[in-house]
Amino acid sequence: MSSALRTILNGLALILGVTFVSFLLMVWFGPDQTYTLIGKNATAQQIADVRHELGYDQPFLTRYAGFLADLATLDLGTSNASGERVSRMLARTVPVTLALMLPGFLLGNLLGIALGLAAARRRGQWSDRLISGLSVSGMSISFLIIIIALQVLLSTPYGLNLFPVRGWQVSDLPSYLHYVTVPTAALVLVTLGYNTRFYRAVFVEEYGRDHIRTARAFGASPAVIMWRHVLKNSLVPIITRFLFSIPLVVISGSLLIESYFGIPGVGKVTFEAITSGDQPVLKAVVALTAVAFVLIQLVADMLYRVVDPRVA
Amino acid sequence: MAAVQRLWFRLRGDRAGMAGLVIVAVFALLALGVWFGLLGQEWAAANGGRWEPAGPQYWFGTNVLGQDIFERSLYSVRTAFEIGLVVALLSTALGAALGALAGWYSHGWIDASVLWLKGVLDSIPFYLFVAAVAFALQGQPWAMHVAMIATFWTGTGRLVRAEVMKLRTREFVLAAEAIGLPDLLILLRHVLPNTLPILLVQASIAFVAAIKTEVILSFLGLGVQHGVSWGLMLAESTQEVLAGHFNNFLAASLMLFALLLGFNLLADALQDAFDPRQATQ
Repeated sequence: MSSALRTILNGLALILGVTFVSFLLMVWFGPDQTYTLIGKNATAQQIADVRHELGYDQPFLTRYAGFLADLATLDLGTSNASGERVSRMLARTVPVTLALMLPGFLLGNLLGIALGLAAARRRGQWSDRLISGLSVSGMSISFLIIIIALQVLLSTPYGLNLFPVRGWQVSDLPSYLHYVTVPTAALVLVTLGYNTRFYRAVFVEEYGRDHIRTARAFGASPAVIMWRHVLKNSLVPIITRFLFSIPLVVISGSLLIESYFGIPGVGKVTFEAITSGDQPVLKAVVALTAVAFVLIQLVADMLYRVVDPRVA
Repeated sequence: MAAVQRLWFRLRGDRAGMAGLVIVAVFALLALGVWFGLLGQEWAAANGGRWEPAGPQYWFGTNVLGQDIFERSLYSVRTAFEIGLVVALLSTALGAALGALAGWYSHGWIDASVLWLKGVLDSIPFYLFVAAVAFALQGQPWAMHVAMIATFWTGTGRLVRAEVMKLRTREFVLAAEAIGLPDLLILLRHVLPNTLPILLVQASIAFVAAIKTEVILSFLGLGVQHGVSWGLMLAESTQEVLAGHFNNFLAASLMLFALLLGFNLLADALQDAFDPRQATQ
């Protein structure tokens, strides 16, 4: 119980820190919106009114406290740029991003685990060398290069020309598959090198342990060793990597993929909010990621207990 | 110096690592060539026609403005090294300093603050943070570097902290403490030099990360503002490839891939040479 309490306290400190850094960067040093909101030839009084409405005339701590209060009461406000309610905007964009990123995220991890296992089982042999070599090559290719190359190969007349170049007009399963394939392939390719390498290192360490040697000596089959001993004992690092990369992949990954393919998800909305200084949207996204991190930490704590009796 | 000799001996036996070292050395020479004005100086001149094909005069053809793509990709080597070196050196130094302080005063308030700061920076989605810093420091050509240094140190910091905590209990450190040397002197002269292997590997990883990040940021319009880089060339190519002009894309991708592969191979070999027990092969 005390460990859960500590996680929550640490989580609160983390949320305070994240909101503070984001407030400092995105709001305090962020873009000034006064002149985008008022017309030409505004009087000094009009300018002062707008600044007052935006809270620009308040001191630093007051504005930060207001920022926290808005977050705590889930008062997300309306977007300055489009006038849309932020909660509605998120309800519209988050499902798109999840639908867009989830298949690639899952496939990238599952393939990474499979390849990592295949390499670790035959450590030092040619198949291990091939997999390791390919994953280093994969780590050396830029995300942008992968996206451009896949777009040319799959979506233009210079390649197979099977999929749309950009956009997201999804209504049913075939149209979903039509639009999600190229971004998914890009996401899998860009994460596969790093994932394979990480999981391979985990499995190599696990295969080197004494109890594996003992199990082998007692005649356990390679399949039993792989499933019952290596995979099961690697669950803690697998869960850690899997869970903690969710917020980063979903936000950072979608930022690039959505800007490139013109997909109306959270990443694109966030990027537009950064460049235009749309504070209510930024507040919401930052708060959501910080809370997601804390929740993930709690979930991870719980899962560790399930898979590793030593933690409980 | 015995450690360096041992390192070189192990590195020489690693064929992939030596290949990486040669690739990096060739690129470093190209960067120096550009720096001293011997190579790639015509990168901005628009002498050719629009989208001329590759040929003896323009090895990779020309771009929309008639600029020589090969010259531009050569000049970008210098841009890449500038960004990579600045970010790798400073982020590694920052990680070493904060990690060493946290490890030396572990479980005190300094340690708690450093860990908290690391947790905060790690919880902000990376491109969101970089974009925000780049925007807050708008007009500053260093915004991109600052953002990367501010976030890349956390990995180095974590490793150095763990290593310093281990070193702290070793006899030579206890002896130095026993004869009353000041903490700072022990840290600088006896503890930090022993973290050098970690720092070298981390610096080469940071170099790779910096160049990759530059590409994404330049595409998003937050990266290199003046001059030319592989990221800018790729950003330029995103429209061209749809019209069938692949030269910008190919030149930038091939150079970028070769340099990153070289650095990744070198980083792996360094890691194996320092820690043969954990060797990846």
